Amino acid sequence: MKKNETPDVPARFKVGDRVQVRDMPNMFYTRTQNYVRGVTGTIASCTYKDLIPEDEAFDYDGRPEQYYIVRFRQKDLWEEYPFDNDTLQTEFPDHWLEPVGN
Amino acid sequence: MTSRPELRQQYDIIGSFQPALHVPQNWNYETPGPMFRAYMHPPHDVGGQRDVPVHYEEKEEEQWELNTYVTCEVLGWRGIWTAEERRRRADNDLGYTLYLGLPYYGRWIWSAARMLVDKKHISLTELLEKIAEVKSRYEKK
Repeated sequence: MKKNETPDVPARFKVGDRVQVRDMPNMFYTRTQNYVRGVTGTIASCTYKDLIPEDEAFDYDGRPEQYYIVRFRQKDLWEEYPFDNDTLQTEFPDHWLEPVGN
Repeated sequence: MTSRPELRQQYDIIGSFQPALHVPQNWNYETPGPMFRAYMHPPHDVGGQRDVPVHYEEKEEEQWELNTYVTCEVLGWRGIWTAEERRRRADNDLGYTLYLGLPYYGRWIWSAARMLVDKKHISLTELLEKIAEVKSRYEKK
């Protein structure tokens, strides 16, 4: 296991910020679902700092990042979804998110 | 020993594992995007996909499933693998055929054994000898 010598990555977002999920390549492992890629949502909560899943999956410690729960409108994820007010929440580490013109 | 009819049955099952799209893939630099993305998609990311009908029933875990769970947790506590390595191995490195074919904890124990061999905690020969020994012990009972 690599020794963790790098400092934490500071949090870039706060609750209420609009963010878009990056469309990174899929290769070997990820926890970022395909169906949220490129979709815009709202930061619902700043959870904790932890290792990046794609690196921890290969036993690299790397730099801990801030994790966020992001809230999406179901209609933004599935256009045929029947109810306007329903939302879906899921979690991402910092580098998977990009700011959207706030 | 596996009887000849059992062997034939096993080969018939393997025959049915053939990929649905069984044509030679000659990909150049202009690989079709949807095709490439579908093949690179990690099997554990199932959200939004169609599935077969599932019959839900109230059921306790089998003993082997509990043993598998505890074994995998202990391997984590002992620092042999991380939670993400377990998820990667158990869900994604299997590929679709095994992922969709094995029971939930079947994926886990397959992955634990493979990881222990990969990381050189045990050799495959040691593991095979041990399984054979335990199996023969049970058969004598």
